[in-house]
Amino acid sequence: MRPISSPRAGAGNASGAPIRRSGRGRRLYTVENPKKSTTLTVMTVLFTLYCLLPLVWLVINATKSQADFVSSFGLAPGRDFALWDNIVEVFRYQDGIFSRWLLNTLLYVVVGATVSTFLAALGGYALAKLDFRGKRVFLFVVLGSISVPGIALAIPQFLLFAQLGLTNTPWAVLIPSFINPFGLYLMWVFTAEAVPTGLLEAAKIDGAGEFRTFLRIALPMLAPASVTVLLFSFVSIWNNYFLPLIMLKDPAWYPLTVGINQWNKLGSSAGNGALVQNLVITSALLTIVPLIIAFLSLQRYWQSGLALGAIKG
Amino acid sequence: MRLSQKARLLSAVLVPMVALVACSGGSGGSGGGKAAGSGGGDEQVKLTVWSWDGTVEKAVPGFQAANPNIKVEVVNGGSSQDEYKALDNAIQAGSGVPDLVMFEYFAVPYFAIPGKLADLGEFGVEKFKNDYVPAAWADVTVNGKVYALPSDYGPSAMFYNSATLKKAGIDKAPATWDEYYEAAKKIRALGGDHYIAQDTGDIFFLLSLIWQAGGRPFTVNGNKVHIDFTDEGTTRAVAFWQKMLDEGLINTKITGWSDDWNRTLNDGSLATQTMGGWLTSTLPERAPKAAGDFRVALMPQWKQGDKVGAENGGSSFGIPAAAGHKDAAFKFLEYFAHGGGLSTRVDAGAFVPNTSVLESEAFQGKANKYFGDQKVGAVLAEASETVGSGWQYPPFFEWARSIYGDIASPFYTTGKVKLAEILEQWKQRCIQYGNEQGFQVD
Amino acid sequence: MDLARRFDVTPSAMASPDEERHPAPAGRRRRSQIGLAFIAPFGALFALVFIVPILYAAYLSLFQERLIGGTTFVGFANYGKLFQDPQFWDGVGRVIRFTLVQVPIMLLFSMALALALDSMRVHGTKFMRATIFLPYAVPAIVSTLMWGFLLGVKYGLFGSLNDALGTDIDPFAPGTTLISIGLMVTWAFTGFNMLIFYAALKAVPRELYEAAAIDGANEFQVVRAIKLPALRGSLVVTIIFSIIGTFQMFNEPQILPTMVANSGVTTFYTPNLYAYNLAFTGSQQGYAAALALVMAAITIAVAYAVQIRGLRNASDQ
Repeated sequence: MRPISSPRAGAGNASGAPIRRSGRGRRLYTVENPKKSTTLTVMTVLFTLYCLLPLVWLVINATKSQADFVSSFGLAPGRDFALWDNIVEVFRYQDGIFSRWLLNTLLYVVVGATVSTFLAALGGYALAKLDFRGKRVFLFVVLGSISVPGIALAIPQFLLFAQLGLTNTPWAVLIPSFINPFGLYLMWVFTAEAVPTGLLEAAKIDGAGEFRTFLRIALPMLAPASVTVLLFSFVSIWNNYFLPLIMLKDPAWYPLTVGINQWNKLGSSAGNGALVQNLVITSALLTIVPLIIAFLSLQRYWQSGLALGAIKG
Repeated sequence: MRLSQKARLLSAVLVPMVALVACSGGSGGSGGGKAAGSGGGDEQVKLTVWSWDGTVEKAVPGFQAANPNIKVEVVNGGSSQDEYKALDNAIQAGSGVPDLVMFEYFAVPYFAIPGKLADLGEFGVEKFKNDYVPAAWADVTVNGKVYALPSDYGPSAMFYNSATLKKAGIDKAPATWDEYYEAAKKIRALGGDHYIAQDTGDIFFLLSLIWQAGGRPFTVNGNKVHIDFTDEGTTRAVAFWQKMLDEGLINTKITGWSDDWNRTLNDGSLATQTMGGWLTSTLPERAPKAAGDFRVALMPQWKQGDKVGAENGGSSFGIPAAAGHKDAAFKFLEYFAHGGGLSTRVDAGAFVPNTSVLESEAFQGKANKYFGDQKVGAVLAEASETVGSGWQYPPFFEWARSIYGDIASPFYTTGKVKLAEILEQWKQRCIQYGNEQGFQVD
Repeated sequence: MDLARRFDVTPSAMASPDEERHPAPAGRRRRSQIGLAFIAPFGALFALVFIVPILYAAYLSLFQERLIGGTTFVGFANYGKLFQDPQFWDGVGRVIRFTLVQVPIMLLFSMALALALDSMRVHGTKFMRATIFLPYAVPAIVSTLMWGFLLGVKYGLFGSLNDALGTDIDPFAPGTTLISIGLMVTWAFTGFNMLIFYAALKAVPRELYEAAAIDGANEFQVVRAIKLPALRGSLVVTIIFSIIGTFQMFNEPQILPTMVANSGVTTFYTPNLYAYNLAFTGSQQGYAAALALVMAAITIAVAYAVQIRGLRNASDQ
């Protein structure tokens, strides 16, 4: 438990010292494990409550039947505890289409986030470490594209994808999700910062090709950045609503967001649609749970990714 | 060396894509595969139907059993607005146009006038005319041609909470708007959140009031649209509702179809709803605690002893001009909107404008438990058959209703609603927009 | 390490030092090809998903669609009409006001939370970090439902609060709706921005802190001398992203009117909502495309101004 960094840590790596496992449970306050502050904790807890309150509402109301939902106060429990019934009903409603939506979303998220992260890493590496003509224009256009409202692009995108025969197929959701300009940007910044050019040159002198160098040397060092980009891609694809709404007509290809919204619209627009708020709320809860799990597990990876990147250096 | 690098790079990108093709083909392509691989026997037709009416799906098995060479796929495309845009997109893209599409009545002219819908005259649709209440048939007729078949109907009726009325000392449902006004005062006297009804700028309600009073603010003749909110009927209806608002007898805070609305219906503080007959099927879900309290009556009348109604909602199905299987589409349409599939849909809760159904004993004689065993069907059948004739919607009504709130909302929030002024501003916007869209509007 | 430069996206700063060091034309061409090969997959898909649709939108913006008479070429008439459209400028004004108030508040929270969590001086750091990020993962439709209840005056929590305090505040009156939307947006995005700050703080070499500890620097000095400068680049990024996000605000004003009456949300409440309504209910695709492109130009201009300002402040240091 050295409070001061080891001599090795200072030996010229760009990403900082290896993170040591600080002595858990021992009263030795270090830079890595300082004294806890009550004031800071209270302040953070207050904000955490603000973040949690709506979610508490969600959890409580997922336990209510439709009749209880319209009859009881929002933060009070209903007469019956109907969480299990609701979950069963969510998976049975409309011939169990919810599980199909869940699988679709998983497909979109896993494939979309993986491909977009890889493409961003590849592109970020090219921007940071390689030359090519039109680099400045490219970057400027990519970053500028973030400013164009998605809704403006939706109809042209639809018409283009229709020309290619891709509408109403999962490709119409996947292909746009492969492009993550923010991810490219992050990767560019991280590569420029965390991957020493000298190391790449050394690998190339040893005979490794450019792509091999990227895979073997750069990519492992980009692990923390990759997890970050992966996380953001994951969430944005998971919550993607507008594009699938326009591109997909067949509910069998819907992601969860579009499906749940459809259930909600059944009851909230004029007409004789079924009122299934209990299913909307329960399915929303079920939708968030995988995200929580993904975030928590990615978070661990992210932490070790940071350390790993440092040690590799 | 370089080549192999490129190859590996490519394969790194392509492998997941190929895997995806394989997996998507496996799960999604089954329907398409069948249609494409129909070598022997009758030629298979795969119909695509866009509908947000759940009962249409119920008619599919019966239809497919009778027509084994037609496979029907019903797609719920979400809200009507989403569906219309999707249809416009598909027509513009020239691909993915469905064979049969659901339209609210007011949306029929929007698609029919630019030629996006097939004229059903070629299928001899005229012979079905007698099976529909006249107003519904008029709804699907544009410039003398029939573009859709009515599939569900929204005759306006008054749903009232008899327990709340009793609490206010009213024994009988108001039969005229004068009685309605008196009842409103008594209900308001109960205090708290008790109101006879809510209105936060509901254009469909206001139009149904005008419709019933004999106002015909829109006159459509080909591409010519005339808008006038000053005819006698319109003036009477507007003045009446203006009085209700002015005297604070209407809740202007709670909007229809919101969670708050469900709850005020549930706890009985909203005494009546003058709305389309389709409220029958959804009211029990929204107001479970009020079971046994609600009843249905005809709309209050403008003159004692009259029996005039109006529409509020309802929809129909038409065949896009660009559809691939028009004959099969009409076959299915005829089946569920007129023929053998109709009873299946009625059993599933559809409220249809077919006289064969409305006049049947099975429909009129059935007691509805939620409504205190009232024979709701008889009331709604009468409401359907007394709908005033001659109403027209302008072809750009979908747009017009979307901006009505922009104009009405500031009035409602200040608490000083001037309906006539709202309608006048609305008219001006409609004239401007309609002319931009190539109509001649005045 | 020059943190401001890390986040610099201006062309002048993009000239990589390598470019200057390798003047040999043959080598450069080869390197250029490799570079292109690396960027090609992203570039090709980017063209398909963004460039072609943007160009197509630009093309559409030169036409007017009419229900009767079809599509006609109108040149820049849509743009001319847009600049005189009070509804468009009403929406623009609203998102600018929103940006000026909500974005600073949200980013202040994000930064404070990132610093607090990074300091390791908070109990349950991991739990809170996850919880604060969580709202970002909640689909807008669900979050609007939840907030509709929390802020509801009739049956919601806010109604109970009004009863308890004897107040009569309506969070969804025309004057207060924007504040309520601010509350929802802050809830949804504080965690996202916090993570960006947090990642920047985590990227600070630990030995800097250790060196500061040896020098006897206290917590505040460490924050001022090391952490805040390390956040400068992320701050520019988060400001830009928040501006873009606000300028594209859509979900909340679109869903709100179905829940509460007369909250003051019009069909042109935000420019993006206006574009949507023009294209989707008004059949005015060309006009909507023109609006979207003008909005994009405004956004780029504002983002660029923030960028320049961020740079100037950095060089003042």
